[in-house]
Amino acid sequence: MELNLPFLEKTFILALRGIPVSLEITVLSILLAALPAYLMALARLYHVKIASQIIKVFISLIRGTPMIVQILFIYSLLPSLINAVAVRCSSSFNVFDIHPVVYAVVVFTLHASVMLSEVIRASITTVDRGQLDAAYALGMRQQQAFRLIILPQAAVEAVPNLGTLTVNLFKETSLSFLMTVKDITAIAKIEASYGYNYIEAYVDIFIIYLIMCSLIQLVFYIVEKALNHAR
Amino acid sequence: MRPFDPAFILKSFTELLPFAGRTLEVMLLSVVCGTLFGTLLAWARLSRSHIARAAAAVYVHIIRCTPSIVLLFIVYYGLPVLFRLATGIRTGYNGKLIYVTITLSLLFAASMCELFRSSYSSVDEGQWDAAFCCGFTPIQTARLIIIPQALTAALPVFCSEIIALLKQGALAFTIGFIDLMGETDVIVARNYGAHGLETYIALAVIYWVLAIAIELIEGFFEQRAMRGKSIPGRDGSKWN
Repeated sequence: MELNLPFLEKTFILALRGIPVSLEITVLSILLAALPAYLMALARLYHVKIASQIIKVFISLIRGTPMIVQILFIYSLLPSLINAVAVRCSSSFNVFDIHPVVYAVVVFTLHASVMLSEVIRASITTVDRGQLDAAYALGMRQQQAFRLIILPQAAVEAVPNLGTLTVNLFKETSLSFLMTVKDITAIAKIEASYGYNYIEAYVDIFIIYLIMCSLIQLVFYIVEKALNHAR
Repeated sequence: MRPFDPAFILKSFTELLPFAGRTLEVMLLSVVCGTLFGTLLAWARLSRSHIARAAAAVYVHIIRCTPSIVLLFIVYYGLPVLFRLATGIRTGYNGKLIYVTITLSLLFAASMCELFRSSYSSVDEGQWDAAFCCGFTPIQTARLIIIPQALTAALPVFCSEIIALLKQGALAFTIGFIDLMGETDVIVARNYGAHGLETYIALAVIYWVLAIAIELIEGFFEQRAMRGKSIPGRDGSKWN
């Protein structure tokens, strides 16, 4: 193989700097998506009129279109939208001051909210409905019953799916280079473009993602074991 | 900024539609190749050989940890080099369809391996014994009893994996493959970036319709597979 090993090593070290960016986008998106996802899951579980229909269409839309199309759509819509609002409010806000990570977080939050709502919905349905009735029989209010009885049990069930979701989201942040975010992929690609060392750059990205995703899976595995042990 | 022009959505829609064939072609090829390779992997994963089991598990783990776009680039840039080193023939970077299909098949095979393994395990072990008592040979048992049940269990996930494949195929434009997404890129570039939003809306609608169509087809087959079963469907949760 004619791999340029010094370049491979140098780029690997450089691309490591992109890990915090990718992790930041992943974690922020999941945190921001948590509340909307929970509300969406509840609305669908309780068949709330109109809302559950709208949510169904929204979920189908996000799941039925490629991530890359969502990225390109948001990245061409949001800046001009914000600019139009700024102009109307005659503020001196410059749309170019917005950090590209913000757009990435918006796209991935949309995506994560849909995936997370499905995970939450599935995990709540694994808890026996009788538990809710038992809690009512003990005189608990609905909020109490959810907070004290249903959600802790559902959370334990959700851990493996949450792990898969996190890994998938982390992998998909590799597309954020399209929004000029300097993540792992972007750094390695920029380095490669100087001397056309694309194979080496992609091997670097591949290794970093392999290590990071294995680590994320390991963390979730440990959490899962600990929770099962605590039961 | 140019004003939003709804008429442009319709215009790009008609321009894009012929390229749906290209996207579907890649999707179908990858589904066939990926399913074959995935079956092989699942077979290895369920075999008695430690080496075969470990190899399949490592393959699935690696694929699950690799972003699709990274795999696409490694295949696109790496495979011709490997091929040249092995055979001495220069392939060049033409025939992008082949590279895209290989990438998608590799991705799809990993999901298929996991899916087939879990749906095979979902069929009760006792069925083998019961069939044995009825005088079935192992091949008959597999063909007439185990596989029909396993396939029914696998159907919903198989469908969602095909949709995932369709969506991953959109990444092929990054190596210059002209399918739905690639043509969208061409249209946007031809207009110097203007009306990008309208073009992307048309593209999103096409992908959405394709995904819904795949779901409808799956629903039809699931209904057929469920005939004569007393189980009230897969969504029989008590919360509804």
